[in-house]
Amino acid sequence: MNVLQAFSYFVREAAVGLARSLRVSLLAILTIAVSLFLSGMVLLVSKNLARTAQEWRAEARFTVYLAPEVDAAGKAAVGATIAQGRWTASLEEITPDVARERFERAFPSLSELVAERGEGALPFSFEAVIKPVPAADSAAFSAWVEELRRQPGVVMVDADQDWIGQVETVLTLIRGLGLALAAILLGASIFTIASVVRLTSFLYREEIAVMRLVGATEFYIRGPFYFEGILQGLLGGLIAAGALGGVHLLIEPRIASSLLAGALASKFLTPLELVALVAFGALAGWTGAVVSLNRETLDAPGS
Amino acid sequence: MIQFFGVSRRFSTGQSALDGITLEIARGEFCFITGASGAGKTTLLKLIFREDVPTSGQILVNGRNVSLIPRSKIPFLRRTIGVVFQDFRLIERKTIFENVAFLPRILGLDHGRQKRVAFEALRRVGLSHRMASFPSQLSGGEKQRVAIARALINEPEILIADEPTGNLDQDLSQEIVRLFLDIHLRGTTVLFATHDRVLIESVGHRVLTLAHGRLVDDRPSRRAPAAVPPTPTLDNGRDESATPGERA
Repeated sequence: MNVLQAFSYFVREAAVGLARSLRVSLLAILTIAVSLFLSGMVLLVSKNLARTAQEWRAEARFTVYLAPEVDAAGKAAVGATIAQGRWTASLEEITPDVARERFERAFPSLSELVAERGEGALPFSFEAVIKPVPAADSAAFSAWVEELRRQPGVVMVDADQDWIGQVETVLTLIRGLGLALAAILLGASIFTIASVVRLTSFLYREEIAVMRLVGATEFYIRGPFYFEGILQGLLGGLIAAGALGGVHLLIEPRIASSLLAGALASKFLTPLELVALVAFGALAGWTGAVVSLNRETLDAPGS
Repeated sequence: MIQFFGVSRRFSTGQSALDGITLEIARGEFCFITGASGAGKTTLLKLIFREDVPTSGQILVNGRNVSLIPRSKIPFLRRTIGVVFQDFRLIERKTIFENVAFLPRILGLDHGRQKRVAFEALRRVGLSHRMASFPSQLSGGEKQRVAIARALINEPEILIADEPTGNLDQDLSQEIVRLFLDIHLRGTTVLFATHDRVLIESVGHRVLTLAHGRLVDDRPSRRAPAAVPPTPTLDNGRDESATPGERA
Protein backbone atom coordinates (compact mmCIF):
# COMPACT_ATOMS: atom_id res chain seq x y z
CA MET A 1 0.00 0.00 0.00
CA ASN A 2 1.54 3.31 -1.05
CA VAL A 3 1.41 6.49 1.02
CA LEU A 4 -1.40 8.04 -1.01
CA GLN A 5 -3.57 4.92 -0.75
CA ALA A 6 -2.86 4.68 2.98
CA PHE A 7 -3.64 8.38 3.50
CA SER A 8 -6.91 8.13 1.59
CA TYR A 9 -7.88 4.98 3.52
CA PHE A 10 -7.00 6.53 6.90
CA VAL A 11 -8.95 9.72 6.23
CA ARG A 12 -12.01 7.81 4.98
CA GLU A 13 -12.00 5.41 7.93
CA ALA A 14 -11.36 8.27 10.39
CA ALA A 15 -14.38 10.14 9.03
CA VAL A 16 -16.51 6.98 9.31
CA GLY A 17 -15.27 6.43 12.88
CA LEU A 18 -16.05 10.03 13.76
CA ALA A 19 -19.56 9.73 12.34
CA ARG A 20 -20.08 6.39 14.07
CA SER A 21 -19.55 7.90 17.53
CA LEU A 22 -20.82 11.34 16.61
CA ARG A 23 -21.97 12.59 20.03
CA VAL A 24 -18.79 11.75 21.90
CA SER A 25 -16.74 12.99 18.96
CA LEU A 26 -18.59 16.33 19.12
CA LEU A 27 -17.90 16.47 22.85
CA ALA A 28 -14.18 15.94 22.20
CA ILE A 29 -14.17 18.55 19.41
CA LEU A 30 -15.97 21.10 21.62
CA THR A 31 -13.64 20.42 24.55
CA ILE A 32 -10.60 21.05 22.44
CA ALA A 33 -12.29 24.06 20.81
CA VAL A 34 -12.98 25.63 24.23
CA SER A 35 -9.46 25.02 25.49
CA LEU A 36 -7.86 26.36 22.30
CA PHE A 37 -10.23 29.35 22.32
CA LEU A 38 -9.16 30.20 25.88
CA SER A 39 -5.50 29.63 24.98
CA GLY A 40 -6.00 31.93 21.98
CA MET A 41 -7.68 34.56 24.18
CA VAL A 42 -4.77 34.42 26.64
CA LEU A 43 -2.37 34.82 23.73
CA LEU A 44 -4.41 37.68 22.25
CA VAL A 45 -4.81 39.59 25.53
CA SER A 46 -1.24 39.09 26.74
CA LYS A 47 0.11 40.05 23.32
CA ASN A 48 -1.95 43.26 23.26
CA LEU A 49 -1.17 44.09 26.88
CA ALA A 50 2.53 43.55 26.24
CA ARG A 51 2.34 45.84 23.21
CA THR A 52 0.42 48.46 25.21
CA ALA A 53 2.94 48.24 28.06
CA GLN A 54 5.75 48.63 25.54
CA GLU A 55 4.09 51.77 24.13
CA TRP A 56 3.65 53.16 27.62
CA ARG A 57 7.25 52.42 28.39
CA ALA A 58 8.37 54.23 25.25
CA GLU A 59 6.36 57.25 26.36
CA ALA A 60 7.39 56.93 30.00
CA ARG A 61 8.83 60.02 31.67
CA PHE A 62 11.40 60.20 34.43
CA THR A 63 11.25 63.66 35.95
CA VAL A 64 13.09 65.04 38.99
CA TYR A 65 11.63 68.29 40.34
CA LEU A 66 13.87 70.63 42.38
CA ALA A 67 12.97 73.18 45.03
CA PRO A 68 13.06 76.87 43.87
CA GLU A 69 15.87 77.71 46.32
CA VAL A 70 18.33 75.16 44.88
CA ASP A 71 21.38 76.96 43.53
CA ALA A 72 23.41 76.13 40.42
CA ALA A 73 25.79 73.85 42.33
CA GLY A 74 22.89 71.92 43.82
CA LYS A 75 21.31 71.53 40.39
CA ALA A 76 24.60 70.32 38.96
CA ALA A 77 24.94 67.74 41.76
CA VAL A 78 21.45 66.31 41.16
CA GLY A 79 22.02 66.38 37.38
CA ALA A 80 25.28 64.47 37.82
CA THR A 81 23.59 61.83 39.95
CA ILE A 82 20.93 61.27 37.29
CA ALA A 83 23.43 61.30 34.41
CA GLN A 84 25.62 58.72 36.15
CA GLY A 85 22.70 56.34 36.66
CA ARG A 86 23.27 53.22 34.56
CA TRP A 87 19.70 53.30 33.20
CA THR A 88 19.89 56.93 31.99
CA ALA A 89 19.94 57.24 28.21
CA SER A 90 19.74 61.03 28.01
CA LEU A 91 19.14 63.98 30.28
CA GLU A 92 17.53 67.36 29.69
CA GLU A 93 17.22 70.42 31.94
CA ILE A 94 13.74 71.93 32.01
CA THR A 95 13.86 75.48 33.25
CA PRO A 96 10.70 77.14 34.71
CA ASP A 97 10.34 79.13 31.46
CA VAL A 98 10.43 76.00 29.30
CA ALA A 99 8.00 74.31 31.68
CA ARG A 100 5.62 77.28 31.43
CA GLU A 101 5.78 77.22 27.62
CA ARG A 102 4.95 73.52 27.60
CA PHE A 103 2.10 74.01 30.04
CA GLU A 104 0.60 76.82 28.00
CA ARG A 105 0.87 74.70 24.85
CA ALA A 106 -0.77 71.72 26.50
CA PHE A 107 -3.43 73.62 28.46
CA PRO A 108 -4.01 76.98 26.75
CA SER A 109 -7.17 77.69 28.74
CA LEU A 110 -5.26 77.39 32.02
CA SER A 111 -2.31 79.61 31.05
CA GLU A 112 -3.65 82.48 33.17
CA LEU A 113 -3.43 80.32 36.24
CA VAL A 114 0.32 79.98 35.80
CA ALA A 115 0.72 83.67 34.99
CA GLU A 116 -1.13 84.62 38.21
CA ARG A 117 1.27 82.61 40.35
CA GLY A 118 4.32 84.34 38.89
CA GLU A 119 7.91 83.17 38.48
CA GLY A 120 7.86 80.25 40.91
CA ALA A 121 4.71 78.60 39.59
CA LEU A 122 6.55 75.79 37.88
CA PRO A 123 9.78 74.36 39.30
CA PHE A 124 13.12 73.61 37.68
CA SER A 125 13.32 69.94 36.71
CA PHE A 126 15.43 67.30 35.00
CA GLU A 127 13.81 65.03 32.42
CA ALA A 128 15.60 61.81 31.61
CA VAL A 129 15.01 59.08 29.08
CA ILE A 130 15.42 55.79 30.91
CA LYS A 131 16.53 52.62 29.21
CA PRO A 132 14.29 49.54 29.68
CA VAL A 133 14.89 48.21 33.18
CA PRO A 134 15.29 44.41 33.22
CA ALA A 135 13.15 42.64 35.80
CA ALA A 136 16.31 41.54 37.62
CA ASP A 137 17.34 45.20 38.04
CA SER A 138 13.99 46.51 39.23
CA ALA A 139 15.02 46.47 42.94
CA ALA A 140 18.27 48.30 42.17
CA PHE A 141 16.37 50.82 40.06
CA SER A 142 13.88 51.46 42.87
CA ALA A 143 16.78 51.96 45.31
CA TRP A 144 18.36 54.43 42.92
CA VAL A 145 15.08 56.36 42.64
CA GLU A 146 14.81 56.41 46.45
CA GLU A 147 18.38 57.71 46.65
CA LEU A 148 17.46 60.51 44.26
CA ARG A 149 14.42 61.38 46.35
CA ARG A 150 16.70 61.83 49.38
CA GLN A 151 19.07 64.17 47.50
CA PRO A 152 19.07 67.72 48.98
CA GLY A 153 16.82 70.02 46.95
CA VAL A 154 14.81 67.28 45.30
CA VAL A 155 11.09 67.75 45.99
CA MET A 156 9.65 65.00 43.80
CA VAL A 157 10.75 62.16 41.52
CA ASP A 158 8.09 61.16 38.99
CA ALA A 159 9.05 57.73 37.61
CA ASP A 160 6.49 56.11 35.26
CA GLN A 161 8.67 53.02 35.27
CA ASP A 162 7.34 52.23 38.75
CA TRP A 163 3.74 51.66 37.69
CA ILE A 164 4.65 50.28 34.25
CA GLY A 165 6.74 47.69 36.07
CA GLN A 166 3.70 46.85 38.19
CA VAL A 167 1.57 46.53 35.05
CA GLU A 168 4.18 44.20 33.57
CA THR A 169 4.20 42.11 36.74
CA VAL A 170 0.42 41.79 36.48
CA LEU A 171 0.83 40.94 32.79
CA THR A 172 3.31 38.17 33.59
CA LEU A 173 0.90 36.87 36.21
CA ILE A 174 -2.03 36.91 33.75
CA ARG A 175 0.10 35.15 31.13
CA GLY A 176 1.24 32.51 33.61
CA LEU A 177 -2.27 31.87 34.94
CA GLY A 178 -3.64 31.80 31.40
CA LEU A 179 -1.01 29.34 30.25
CA ALA A 180 -1.63 27.15 33.30
CA LEU A 181 -5.38 27.22 32.60
CA ALA A 182 -4.78 26.47 28.92
CA ALA A 183 -2.45 23.59 29.83
CA ILE A 184 -5.06 22.10 32.18
CA LEU A 185 -7.78 22.44 29.54
CA LEU A 186 -5.53 20.96 26.86
CA GLY A 187 -4.77 18.06 29.18
CA ALA A 188 -8.53 17.58 29.58
CA SER A 189 -8.95 17.75 25.79
CA ILE A 190 -6.26 15.14 25.24
CA PHE A 191 -7.93 12.95 27.83
CA THR A 192 -11.34 13.41 26.15
CA ILE A 193 -9.94 12.63 22.70
CA ALA A 194 -8.11 9.62 24.11
CA SER A 195 -11.40 8.40 25.58
CA VAL A 196 -13.25 8.92 22.29
CA VAL A 197 -10.57 7.13 20.28
CA ARG A 198 -10.55 4.39 22.88
CA LEU A 199 -14.33 4.11 22.57
CA THR A 200 -14.09 3.98 18.76
CA SER A 201 -11.39 1.31 18.94
CA PHE A 202 -13.69 -0.60 21.29
CA LEU A 203 -16.55 -0.31 18.78
CA TYR A 204 -14.17 -1.61 16.13
CA ARG A 205 -12.59 -4.31 18.30
CA GLU A 206 -13.99 -7.14 16.20
CA GLU A 207 -12.79 -5.51 13.01
CA ILE A 208 -9.38 -4.95 14.55
CA ALA A 209 -9.25 -8.64 15.47
CA VAL A 210 -10.13 -9.55 11.86
CA MET A 211 -7.56 -7.11 10.52
CA ARG A 212 -4.87 -8.67 12.70
CA LEU A 213 -6.01 -12.11 11.65
CA VAL A 214 -5.59 -11.43 7.94
CA GLY A 215 -2.17 -9.86 8.45
CA ALA A 216 -2.76 -6.12 8.73
CA THR A 217 0.22 -4.28 10.18
CA GLU A 218 -0.10 -2.03 13.25
CA PHE A 219 0.48 0.95 10.94
CA TYR A 220 -2.59 -0.01 8.94
CA ILE A 221 -4.69 -0.76 12.04
CA ARG A 222 -3.72 2.35 13.98
CA GLY A 223 -3.65 4.83 11.10
CA PRO A 224 -7.40 5.52 11.04
CA PHE A 225 -7.47 6.07 14.82
CA TYR A 226 -4.54 8.50 14.68
CA PHE A 227 -6.29 10.35 11.89
CA GLU A 228 -9.52 10.41 13.88
CA GLY A 229 -7.70 12.13 16.75
CA ILE A 230 -6.01 14.54 14.36
CA LEU A 231 -9.35 15.28 12.66
CA GLN A 232 -11.02 16.02 16.00
CA GLY A 233 -8.14 18.29 17.00
CA LEU A 234 -8.19 20.08 13.64
CA LEU A 235 -11.94 20.67 13.81
CA GLY A 236 -11.61 21.91 17.42
CA GLY A 237 -8.78 24.23 16.36
CA LEU A 238 -10.78 25.60 13.43
CA ILE A 239 -13.81 26.27 15.66
CA ALA A 240 -11.53 28.02 18.19
CA ALA A 241 -9.92 30.14 15.46
CA GLY A 242 -13.36 31.06 14.10
CA ALA A 243 -14.63 31.97 17.59
CA LEU A 244 -11.56 34.14 18.25
CA GLY A 245 -12.15 35.92 14.94
CA GLY A 246 -15.79 36.43 15.91
CA VAL A 247 -14.88 37.90 19.29
CA HIS A 248 -12.38 40.23 17.65
CA LEU A 249 -14.99 41.40 15.14
CA LEU A 250 -17.34 42.16 18.06
CA ILE A 251 -14.68 44.14 19.94
CA GLU A 252 -13.21 45.96 16.93
CA PRO A 253 -15.85 48.77 16.71
CA ARG A 254 -15.23 49.59 20.40
CA ILE A 255 -11.43 49.76 20.16
CA ALA A 256 -11.32 53.46 19.23
CA SER A 257 -13.66 54.53 22.02
CA SER A 258 -12.64 52.16 24.81
CA LEU A 259 -9.18 52.28 26.36
CA LEU A 260 -9.69 48.79 27.81
CA ALA A 261 -10.79 47.27 24.49
CA GLY A 262 -7.83 48.91 22.78
CA ALA A 263 -5.40 47.66 25.39
CA LEU A 264 -6.76 44.11 25.28
CA ALA A 265 -7.57 43.43 21.65
CA SER A 266 -6.55 46.15 19.22
CA LYS A 267 -4.31 43.73 17.26
CA PHE A 268 -5.63 40.30 16.24
CA LEU A 269 -3.55 37.14 16.02
CA THR A 270 -1.32 36.80 12.95
CA PRO A 271 -2.18 34.13 10.33
CA LEU A 272 0.86 32.17 11.51
CA GLU A 273 -0.40 32.23 15.12
CA LEU A 274 -3.84 31.05 13.96
CA VAL A 275 -2.27 28.22 11.94
CA ALA A 276 -0.16 27.30 14.98
CA LEU A 277 -3.33 27.23 17.13
CA VAL A 278 -5.09 24.84 14.72
CA ALA A 279 -1.93 22.73 14.34
CA PHE A 280 -1.68 22.56 18.12
CA GLY A 281 -5.23 21.19 18.16
CA ALA A 282 -4.22 18.51 15.64
CA LEU A 283 -1.16 17.68 17.75
CA ALA A 284 -3.33 17.37 20.87
CA GLY A 285 -5.69 15.06 18.96
CA TRP A 286 -2.85 12.90 17.76
CA THR A 287 -1.42 12.76 21.29
CA GLY A 288 -4.81 11.62 22.58
CA ALA A 289 -4.94 8.87 19.97
CA VAL A 290 -1.41 7.72 20.77
CA VAL A 291 -2.14 7.65 24.51
CA SER A 292 -5.33 5.70 23.89
CA LEU A 293 -3.89 3.17 21.44
CA ASN A 294 -0.88 2.35 23.59
CA ARG A 295 -3.26 0.73 26.03
CA GLU A 296 -5.22 -0.84 23.18
CA THR A 297 -2.07 -2.63 22.01
CA LEU A 298 -1.41 -4.05 25.45
CA ASP A 299 -4.89 -5.54 25.42
CA ALA A 300 -4.39 -7.23 22.06
CA PRO A 301 -3.82 -10.96 22.49
CA GLY A 302 -0.88 -12.55 20.78
CA SER A 303 0.32 -9.38 19.10
CA MET B 1 5.66 -27.69 7.24
CA ILE B 2 4.30 -27.49 10.83
CA GLN B 3 6.30 -28.99 13.71
CA PHE B 4 5.53 -28.96 17.45
CA PHE B 5 8.29 -29.95 19.87
CA GLY B 6 7.12 -30.53 23.45
CA VAL B 7 4.70 -27.61 23.29
CA SER B 8 2.81 -26.68 26.45
CA ARG B 9 0.51 -23.78 27.16
CA ARG B 10 -0.45 -23.00 30.70
CA PHE B 11 -2.62 -20.05 31.68
CA SER B 12 -1.85 -17.74 34.57
CA THR B 13 -4.59 -19.50 36.55
CA GLY B 14 -2.44 -22.64 36.45
CA GLN B 15 -4.81 -24.42 34.07
CA SER B 16 -3.05 -26.31 31.30
CA ALA B 17 -4.48 -25.96 27.76
CA LEU B 18 -1.75 -27.99 26.05
CA ASP B 19 0.73 -30.34 27.64
CA GLY B 20 3.89 -31.54 25.90
CA ILE B 21 2.53 -31.74 22.34
CA THR B 22 4.96 -33.08 19.74
CA LEU B 23 3.74 -33.55 16.19
CA GLU B 24 4.58 -32.91 12.56
CA ILE B 25 2.24 -32.00 9.73
CA ALA B 26 3.68 -32.32 6.23
CA ARG B 27 3.23 -29.86 3.37
CA GLY B 28 -0.01 -30.50 1.50
CA GLU B 29 -1.48 -32.67 4.25
CA PHE B 30 -5.15 -32.56 5.36
CA CYS B 31 -5.38 -33.08 9.06
CA PHE B 32 -8.37 -33.15 11.40
CA ILE B 33 -7.87 -32.09 14.98
CA THR B 34 -10.53 -33.43 17.25
CA GLY B 35 -11.37 -33.78 20.90
CA ALA B 36 -14.02 -32.72 23.37
CA SER B 37 -14.63 -29.06 24.19
CA GLY B 38 -11.68 -27.75 26.19
CA ALA B 39 -9.33 -30.42 24.87
CA GLY B 40 -6.98 -27.75 23.45
CA LYS B 41 -7.92 -27.69 19.73
CA THR B 42 -8.33 -23.94 19.48
CA THR B 43 -5.20 -23.23 21.53
CA LEU B 44 -3.16 -25.52 19.27
CA LEU B 45 -4.39 -23.66 16.17
CA LYS B 46 -3.85 -20.23 17.76
CA LEU B 47 -0.22 -21.10 18.46
CA ILE B 48 0.40 -21.74 14.74
CA PHE B 49 -0.58 -18.22 13.63
CA ARG B 50 0.83 -16.54 16.76
CA GLU B 51 -2.49 -15.54 18.24
CA ASP B 52 -1.01 -17.12 21.36
CA VAL B 53 2.47 -18.19 22.45
CA PRO B 54 3.50 -21.46 24.12
CA THR B 55 4.63 -21.51 27.74
CA SER B 56 7.32 -24.01 26.76
CA GLY B 57 8.41 -25.91 23.66
CA GLN B 58 9.00 -24.81 20.08
CA ILE B 59 6.73 -24.47 17.06
CA LEU B 60 8.19 -24.33 13.55
CA VAL B 61 6.09 -23.20 10.59
CA ASN B 62 7.94 -23.51 7.31
CA GLY B 63 11.14 -23.83 9.34
CA ARG B 64 10.54 -20.57 11.25
CA ASN B 65 10.17 -20.62 15.00
CA VAL B 66 6.93 -18.68 15.38
CA SER B 67 7.57 -17.83 19.03
CA LEU B 68 10.70 -15.94 18.01
CA ILE B 69 9.07 -13.89 15.25
CA PRO B 70 9.21 -10.23 16.31
CA ARG B 71 5.83 -8.60 16.89
CA SER B 72 6.23 -6.35 13.87
CA LYS B 73 6.65 -9.41 11.62
CA ILE B 74 3.60 -11.35 12.85
CA PRO B 75 1.32 -9.83 10.13
CA PHE B 76 3.62 -11.26 7.46
CA LEU B 77 3.36 -14.76 9.00
CA ARG B 78 -0.42 -14.42 9.07
CA ARG B 79 -0.55 -13.51 5.39
CA THR B 80 0.75 -17.00 4.62
CA ILE B 81 -1.91 -18.67 6.77
CA GLY B 82 -5.63 -18.55 6.05
CA VAL B 83 -7.86 -18.83 9.11
CA VAL B 84 -11.56 -19.70 9.24
CA PHE B 85 -13.61 -19.59 12.45
CA GLN B 86 -16.89 -21.05 13.57
CA ASP B 87 -18.36 -17.55 14.03
CA PHE B 88 -17.18 -16.40 10.55
CA ARG B 89 -15.72 -13.09 11.84
CA LEU B 90 -16.91 -11.00 8.94
CA ILE B 91 -17.05 -7.21 9.17
CA GLU B 92 -20.78 -6.47 9.17
CA ARG B 93 -20.54 -2.88 7.88
CA LYS B 94 -18.49 -3.90 4.85
CA THR B 95 -19.67 -5.63 1.68
CA ILE B 96 -18.67 -9.17 0.82
CA PHE B 97 -16.18 -7.76 -1.70
CA GLU B 98 -14.65 -5.46 0.94
CA ASN B 99 -14.45 -8.31 3.43
CA VAL B 100 -12.70 -10.57 0.99
CA ALA B 101 -10.51 -7.91 -0.66
CA PHE B 102 -9.13 -6.69 2.64
CA LEU B 103 -5.72 -8.32 2.29
CA PRO B 104 -5.20 -7.32 -1.38
CA ARG B 105 -5.93 -3.74 -0.33
CA ILE B 106 -3.36 -3.92 2.47
CA LEU B 107 -0.89 -5.30 -0.06
CA GLY B 108 -1.48 -2.22 -2.23
CA LEU B 109 -3.15 -3.87 -5.21
CA ASP B 110 -5.07 -1.45 -7.39
CA HIS B 111 -8.86 -1.58 -7.22
CA GLY B 112 -9.18 -3.49 -10.49
CA ARG B 113 -6.82 -6.23 -9.34
CA GLN B 114 -8.48 -6.31 -5.89
CA LYS B 115 -11.76 -6.94 -7.68
CA ARG B 116 -10.28 -9.66 -9.87
CA VAL B 117 -8.70 -11.63 -7.00
CA ALA B 118 -11.78 -11.18 -4.78
CA PHE B 119 -13.99 -12.36 -7.64
CA GLU B 120 -11.75 -15.40 -8.19
CA ALA B 121 -11.77 -16.30 -4.46
CA LEU B 122 -15.54 -15.89 -4.27
CA ARG B 123 -15.99 -17.87 -7.47
CA ARG B 124 -14.12 -20.76 -5.86
CA VAL B 125 -16.67 -20.83 -3.05
CA GLY B 126 -19.60 -20.21 -5.41
CA LEU B 127 -20.45 -16.71 -4.22
CA SER B 128 -19.11 -14.42 -6.95
CA HIS B 129 -22.66 -13.12 -7.51
CA ARG B 130 -22.89 -11.81 -3.92
CA MET B 131 -19.96 -9.38 -3.98
CA ALA B 132 -22.16 -6.34 -3.32
CA SER B 133 -24.14 -7.95 -0.50
CA PHE B 134 -23.54 -7.40 3.19
CA PRO B 135 -22.91 -10.28 5.64
CA SER B 136 -26.33 -9.73 7.25
CA GLN B 137 -27.94 -10.60 3.91
CA LEU B 138 -26.29 -14.05 3.77
CA SER B 139 -27.16 -17.42 5.30
CA GLY B 140 -24.80 -19.13 7.77
CA GLY B 141 -23.37 -21.39 5.07
CA GLU B 142 -22.81 -18.45 2.73
CA LYS B 143 -21.10 -16.47 5.49
CA GLN B 144 -18.77 -19.38 6.13
CA ARG B 145 -17.99 -19.61 2.42
CA VAL B 146 -17.16 -15.87 2.42
CA ALA B 147 -14.84 -16.46 5.38
CA ILE B 148 -13.17 -19.27 3.41
CA ALA B 149 -12.84 -17.01 0.37
CA ARG B 150 -11.19 -14.38 2.56
CA ALA B 151 -8.82 -17.01 3.93
CA LEU B 152 -7.98 -18.15 0.40
CA ILE B 153 -7.45 -14.72 -1.15
CA ASN B 154 -3.66 -14.79 -0.81
CA GLU B 155 -3.43 -18.49 -1.80
CA PRO B 156 -2.08 -19.40 1.65
CA GLU B 157 0.21 -22.34 2.17
CA ILE B 158 -1.72 -23.30 5.29
CA LEU B 159 -5.46 -23.10 5.88
CA ILE B 160 -6.60 -23.36 9.49
CA ALA B 161 -10.26 -23.93 10.29
CA ASP B 162 -11.54 -23.86 13.86
CA GLU B 163 -14.89 -25.64 14.00
CA PRO B 164 -15.97 -24.13 10.65
CA THR B 165 -19.08 -26.32 10.55
CA GLY B 166 -20.02 -25.78 14.20
CA ASN B 167 -22.84 -23.39 13.32
CA LEU B 168 -24.05 -25.25 10.24
CA ASP B 169 -26.46 -28.11 9.64
CA GLN B 170 -25.33 -31.49 8.30
CA ASP B 171 -25.84 -30.69 4.57
CA LEU B 172 -24.08 -27.34 4.81
CA SER B 173 -21.28 -28.96 6.82
CA GLN B 174 -20.71 -31.50 4.07
CA GLU B 175 -20.69 -28.71 1.51
CA ILE B 176 -18.06 -26.77 3.50
CA VAL B 177 -15.93 -29.90 3.96
CA ARG B 178 -16.06 -30.55 0.19
CA LEU B 179 -14.78 -27.02 -0.27
CA PHE B 180 -11.87 -27.67 2.08
CA LEU B 181 -11.09 -30.94 0.30
CA ASP B 182 -11.05 -29.09 -3.02
CA ILE B 183 -8.68 -26.50 -1.56
CA HIS B 184 -6.50 -29.30 -0.21
CA LEU B 185 -6.35 -30.92 -3.63
CA ARG B 186 -4.79 -27.72 -4.95
CA GLY B 187 -1.88 -28.28 -2.54
CA THR B 188 -2.86 -26.30 0.53
CA THR B 189 -2.06 -27.78 3.94
CA VAL B 190 -5.37 -27.90 5.83
CA LEU B 191 -5.86 -28.14 9.59
CA PHE B 192 -9.50 -28.70 10.38
CA ALA B 193 -10.59 -28.66 14.02
CA THR B 194 -13.93 -30.33 14.71
CA HIS B 195 -15.57 -32.60 17.24
CA ASP B 196 -17.91 -34.04 14.57
CA ARG B 197 -16.79 -37.69 14.37
CA VAL B 198 -19.24 -38.47 11.56
CA LEU B 199 -17.72 -35.74 9.43
CA ILE B 200 -14.19 -36.97 10.17
CA GLU B 201 -15.04 -40.57 9.33
CA SER B 202 -16.71 -39.56 6.08
CA VAL B 203 -13.48 -37.99 4.84
CA GLY B 204 -10.83 -40.43 6.06
CA HIS B 205 -7.86 -38.06 6.39
CA ARG B 206 -5.34 -37.99 9.24
CA VAL B 207 -6.87 -37.36 12.68
CA LEU B 208 -5.09 -35.91 15.70
CA THR B 209 -7.07 -36.44 18.89
CA LEU B 210 -6.57 -34.24 21.91
CA ALA B 211 -7.79 -34.87 25.44
CA HIS B 212 -7.07 -32.54 28.38
CA GLY B 213 -4.34 -30.81 26.37
CA ARG B 214 -2.49 -34.00 25.45
CA LEU B 215 -2.18 -35.67 22.07
CA VAL B 216 -3.78 -39.05 22.75
CA ASP B 217 -4.11 -40.39 19.23
CA ASP B 218 -2.59 -39.74 15.79
CA ARG B 219 -4.43 -41.80 13.19
CA PRO B 220 -2.89 -41.64 9.72
CA SER B 221 -4.88 -40.90 6.60
CA ARG B 222 -6.67 -43.76 4.87
CA ARG B 223 -6.48 -41.84 1.58
CA ALA B 224 -3.73 -41.60 -0.98
CA PRO B 225 -1.64 -38.43 -0.53
CA ALA B 226 -2.61 -35.51 -2.79
CA ALA B 227 -0.20 -34.09 -5.34
CA VAL B 228 1.35 -30.82 -4.18
CA PRO B 229 1.49 -28.14 -6.88
CA PRO B 230 3.33 -24.85 -6.17
CA THR B 231 1.23 -22.30 -4.35
CA PRO B 232 1.31 -18.90 -6.04
CA THR B 233 0.41 -15.89 -3.91
CA LEU B 234 -0.68 -12.33 -4.60
CA ASP B 235 2.86 -11.24 -3.84
CA ASN B 236 4.58 -13.60 -6.27
CA GLY B 237 6.88 -12.00 -8.82
CA ARG B 238 7.12 -8.69 -6.98
CA ASP B 239 9.82 -9.11 -4.39
CA GLU B 240 11.40 -12.52 -4.23
CA SER B 241 13.68 -11.57 -1.35
CA ALA B 242 10.80 -10.84 1.01
CA THR B 243 8.85 -13.33 3.07
CA PRO B 244 5.50 -13.90 1.32
CA GLY B 245 3.32 -10.94 2.07
CA GLU B 246 6.15 -8.99 3.70
CA ARG B 247 5.12 -5.60 2.37
CA ALA B 248 2.59 -2.86 3.30
